[in-house]
Amino acid sequence: MSEIVVTGLGIVSAVGYNVAENRTALSQGKTGVSHLSLFDTRYAGLRPCGEIKTDNDDLRTKLNVGEKGVTRTSLLALHAFEEAVNDAELTAAELRESGTALVGASTVGGMCLTDELYHDANRDAIGSDYLAEYDCASSSIYLQKRYGIGGWVNTINTACSSSANAIMFGARLLKQGRCRRVIAGGVDSLAKFTINGFNALHILSPEPCRPFDRDRSGLNLGEGAAFLVMERAADVKNRKMYARLTGYGNSNDAFHPSSLSDDGAGPQLAMRQALQEAGLEAGAIDFVNAHGTATENNDWVESQAMLQVFGTPPAFASTKANTGHTLGAAGAVGAVYSILSLYYGELYPAIHFAHPIETTRLVPVLQYTPRSIEHVMANSFGFGGNCSSLVFSAR
Amino acid sequence: MYIHKINCISPQQTFGDPDLEALLPAVEGKMFAREPAYEGVPPGMLRRMGRAVRMGVGCALPLLKDLKPDAIIVGTANGGMEDCIRFLNQIMDYEEGMLTPGNFVQSTPNATAAQLGLMTGNRNYNITHVHRGLAFENALLDALMLLKDKPTLNVLLEGLDEISAYNYNIDFLAGWYKKEPVDNRRLYDTATPGTLAGEGAAAFIVNSSSQNARAKVLGVHTLHTDDRAEAAEFLQAFVQECLPAGANVDILISGENGDLRHHHFYESAYAAFPNCEVARYKHMFGEFGTTMALALWLACLQQPYPSHMIRQSAVHKGKYILLYNLYQNRQHSAILVERL
Repeated sequence: MSEIVVTGLGIVSAVGYNVAENRTALSQGKTGVSHLSLFDTRYAGLRPCGEIKTDNDDLRTKLNVGEKGVTRTSLLALHAFEEAVNDAELTAAELRESGTALVGASTVGGMCLTDELYHDANRDAIGSDYLAEYDCASSSIYLQKRYGIGGWVNTINTACSSSANAIMFGARLLKQGRCRRVIAGGVDSLAKFTINGFNALHILSPEPCRPFDRDRSGLNLGEGAAFLVMERAADVKNRKMYARLTGYGNSNDAFHPSSLSDDGAGPQLAMRQALQEAGLEAGAIDFVNAHGTATENNDWVESQAMLQVFGTPPAFASTKANTGHTLGAAGAVGAVYSILSLYYGELYPAIHFAHPIETTRLVPVLQYTPRSIEHVMANSFGFGGNCSSLVFSAR
Repeated sequence: MYIHKINCISPQQTFGDPDLEALLPAVEGKMFAREPAYEGVPPGMLRRMGRAVRMGVGCALPLLKDLKPDAIIVGTANGGMEDCIRFLNQIMDYEEGMLTPGNFVQSTPNATAAQLGLMTGNRNYNITHVHRGLAFENALLDALMLLKDKPTLNVLLEGLDEISAYNYNIDFLAGWYKKEPVDNRRLYDTATPGTLAGEGAAAFIVNSSSQNARAKVLGVHTLHTDDRAEAAEFLQAFVQECLPAGANVDILISGENGDLRHHHFYESAYAAFPNCEVARYKHMFGEFGTTMALALWLACLQQPYPSHMIRQSAVHKGKYILLYNLYQNRQHSAILVERL
């Protein structure tokens, strides 16, 4: 069995429009979480978010999108997808081959268009330009159509672990010879739907979020997209290989629709399965890119689960304070950051952290740290108890 | 991959003991599912569930009575759209005021798989595929890959979708439903765009053991195209690859839905397999993103299909069954089943 390697990366988030900008921002401990200026909601001054500060018209121009009915979610997906396939040097002809698969993920899909959806769903107008664009699959279908992608195309929604599962599904397609290359990742844009949903659950923070801090006060929403190009090592030949995807695990916490169990049974299982798949002992993991949303529940449970799985957890940090929680994109965003840590041999500082949770005493990485790394674990946990972990290893 | 237990909730009598002879009608262009009395679901829990989750949970639970599957794999195009838009309407009507989060939590498309995990204390692999008209096909592929990788597993595989007032409105505005009233008995005689809206759920226990199995899934494949020649080629190549040497397709279960724009794709399929029985089902279930789950359920039945399903009859042993579907003029899929 040939190894699965990552040959291309693409990302757009509140801290940068490409991989290089994201890496610089993380290295410098910058945040893209701020007051909303483009997105219209009554929570604009009240709930800081990781907003990408380019409006849809400018995104359309930048991406050369002339047709009507393309949502912000699809535009962000296109932005990251283009970078990833260019990075992997995939040609237009290769994208059209039946061996090229696309696995996307989204939780919001086209529901970022709250007003249009409201009128269309209640049928009080003649129909907007977006009638085919509201569902979670719309961005994958847009990319398929734009590039004529010829192989398997899928979209996954397991809430906040969606794109980790997309990467896992993509790797399995490769392993079983269902494709020769796969572009896998996820996207979500800010939406009244999610801002109001998380706010109604009282887990949106009124201040910049503080993952793993004793005094954390909830999450900040973010938006973004990230894609990986993955191939079998034997097929890659002379092109760049960032990392190997060596492990993955998926488990359900089976505890509550919108919170995790105290002992983190699901997160523990996901992490252990990923280690097992990678053939690694827990001690081999050098760094954990934690889910770390900064909600009371997640960070406590993830800490407990890491203590159970690792005994003494390795270096860890969450980047949610940099980008906000990008929901369906979060797994892929975490994967890209994990791969950058491996490839460049560096750990990025957790920001806004002051005091450890008293009972766990766990402290994330606080300084930019150059360090040679062999294995990184990336965690994503979602509503419905859907927990997934990925392990990336150095080339 | 072998199919063992099956269950189906649909606009017809399919739950428990199926009776497909008596064709139940569409109401105002919609084929609503006949929901059974959901046994084994606490009433309080049932009340909080939207229709999609209720059907999904209610269809799968009877298969899990004495089995804890190693994976729960669900395909759904929309999930709980009714809850989703209810929450959206709250946002708009109360101008983002104080909202209750219940509809928000219920509206996520992964709610059915999540509820099944929660209710049965199942912490194993759990995933929801949402690729519109190919959501179930991707779930099926997921199950196939899992079993190829780990042959000892048992997998719960399910496809489900609901008609909500909202997805009906959106797809109506987009032209996917007929504007004129249609009798579902005459669905295939129409010469207009659009079809009937439908809903339902079908659940399967699948594993790698042929013992006492109902059917074997020989393969699944999908294609995105609006090109007729490409679609025809795809179907031929798929059958050539998956059908055992010397065997013929005995039954073609066709996703024909009375939409004028889809018709020539199905005509190509009929022409490619001229000697088999052709059975249709969308007059029974209506159209939705995961009808192939219900078509697969039909393929697993042992009894002959009622005459209202038969487009073309043939003398056959009913062993190899090809399922072909086209969703919204672009998403093609094919599944090949060997009935055991």
